Amino acid sequence: MSKKIYLLGIVVFLLLLLLPFLGIVPVNWQTILKKNSGSFIFWQLRVPRTLLGFVSGSILALSGLVCQNLFKNNLATPDLLGISSGAAAGAVLALKFNLYISFLGLGGLVLFSYLGALSSVLFVLLLSRMVRNTSLYTFLMCGVALNFFYSALIVFFQYLFDFSNTFSLLRWLMGGISVVGYHEIIFLSVLLLIFLILIFFFKSEFLLVAAGDHFAQSRGLPVHHFRIYSFLGLAFIVGAVVSICGPIGFIALIVPHISRLWGKSNYSAAVVFSILLGGGFLVLADFLARILIPPVDIPVGIITSLFGAPFFLLLIISQLKKAE
Amino acid sequence: MIKVIHLCYSLGHKPILQNVDFSLNENDFVLIFGPNGAGKSTLLKLLAGIIVAKQGDIFIGRKNILQYSKKELATQVAYLPQFDEFSLPLLVRDILLSGRYPYQSFFRKYSRQDYEIFEKTVERFALEDYVDRNIQTLSGGERKKVLLASAFIQDVPLILLDEPLNFLDPASAMQVIKMLKEMHNQGKTILLVSHLIQYFFPQANKMLALKNGKIHYFGAKKFSAQLFQDIYQVSVKRVFIENKEIIYINE
Repeated sequence: MSKKIYLLGIVVFLLLLLLPFLGIVPVNWQTILKKNSGSFIFWQLRVPRTLLGFVSGSILALSGLVCQNLFKNNLATPDLLGISSGAAAGAVLALKFNLYISFLGLGGLVLFSYLGALSSVLFVLLLSRMVRNTSLYTFLMCGVALNFFYSALIVFFQYLFDFSNTFSLLRWLMGGISVVGYHEIIFLSVLLLIFLILIFFFKSEFLLVAAGDHFAQSRGLPVHHFRIYSFLGLAFIVGAVVSICGPIGFIALIVPHISRLWGKSNYSAAVVFSILLGGGFLVLADFLARILIPPVDIPVGIITSLFGAPFFLLLIISQLKKAE
Repeated sequence: MIKVIHLCYSLGHKPILQNVDFSLNENDFVLIFGPNGAGKSTLLKLLAGIIVAKQGDIFIGRKNILQYSKKELATQVAYLPQFDEFSLPLLVRDILLSGRYPYQSFFRKYSRQDYEIFEKTVERFALEDYVDRNIQTLSGGERKKVLLASAFIQDVPLILLDEPLNFLDPASAMQVIKMLKEMHNQGKTILLVSHLIQYFFPQANKMLALKNGKIHYFGAKKFSAQLFQDIYQVSVKRVFIENKEIIYINE
């Protein structure tokens, strides 16, 4: 198991090291320290993009892992619970009303989709409080309702948009990690670090909720409170990724699955695998997005879903076959 | 050790438990029985602090159950639910160690003492082969053994069990009963809900019969054909074979 982690670690490290050099315009390693267009592409476009891919992919994968533990179900993901659609609605508002403000180096689009993500989570939490129930069922029903509501809202505003706005909205909805500079990366890296600290600090709690409500309660864990606070924290962290990269599908669903399998149900191993696999997968997918149909830069969300959906089906089929 | 006073519980307008009163001493082994829907599981959940009654009081030790923090209560009471819901892969090691969760300090580390208790229990109940396995791959009997061992690791005076022999084959059932006897002999107080009276009758010293949310009988263990007739509407007989008391259903 640990051998697999080291091997994967080396592969991902090499990917991070090599991929910024490759692309439609290859960058010569001798030029990166000089001041020319090659070094600009390298330092301002490709390196940030690769790093952002790694950090976002890791956070998405970890969020899936945590979500699945919280709701004791390996199909639970943050986007299923309304976080992505809330972020999308926020993004629409920012685009429609041209909200160009900036805070901590983050633009209006990012800020408003972040607020959107948090709004939907608050709504889910309020509802679960009203019915005094924090089961996956409650959260899921609420998430589904929110998804419909926000989708309608998005289409409504899109209908009112002029054409150029519609395109930038559509582009946002496809998910992408093309950034210039390092603001977003620093922001997300800090969040990733906090996320990891929390994941290890509350290891016993996450294992307890995963084992079942009554089990956890009989060990002295206030399950409902823990679930609500964790979900809120999760929304803060995932909301940031979604607002910067747009909704990127399937990583939160598939990567934790494989991580648990490879980690042989060991919590810490599953966490490390999630970081490496989630980050590595998104970096690779983004590389494909850059080079598949030059000079088109395919939105990376399309790539992850195109590869992710069939892979996920294969995984489910193989599991069902094994269960027979 | 335990005192239950005028305990009432209802779901909506449907009363589940009405005016339940009883008190127990340390090291009692109480067999709780009664027809389906009599309120047995509800009673255990109330005692475990998983649900809270609007009326009545439960005293565990010297304190009212409501005065305990969740973690503190978990150092007094262990509860084994009727159904375990392991829908995610988890290591048996983590399940067992979680018995030490209520003793964790702020930094949420298990101490050396915690690991010692863990290892001793693993050895005691011969669970060495299971610790590094995924709990989902264990059979029903193996799971029950692990959960019982986890309650033992929790090191509490009071253990509540809801139908611990459900779905177990006779060999596993015997192993679970043996573990329970051992815990009882160690001085634990045990409250056990089961229809399988014949299995636990010899070890129990008290009985609590529930019917329609009310206590029908509470007191020292006694064999009473009339009582079983009242509760289950079946005729139960008793024989002694080689000095062993055996009760069985006579149709």
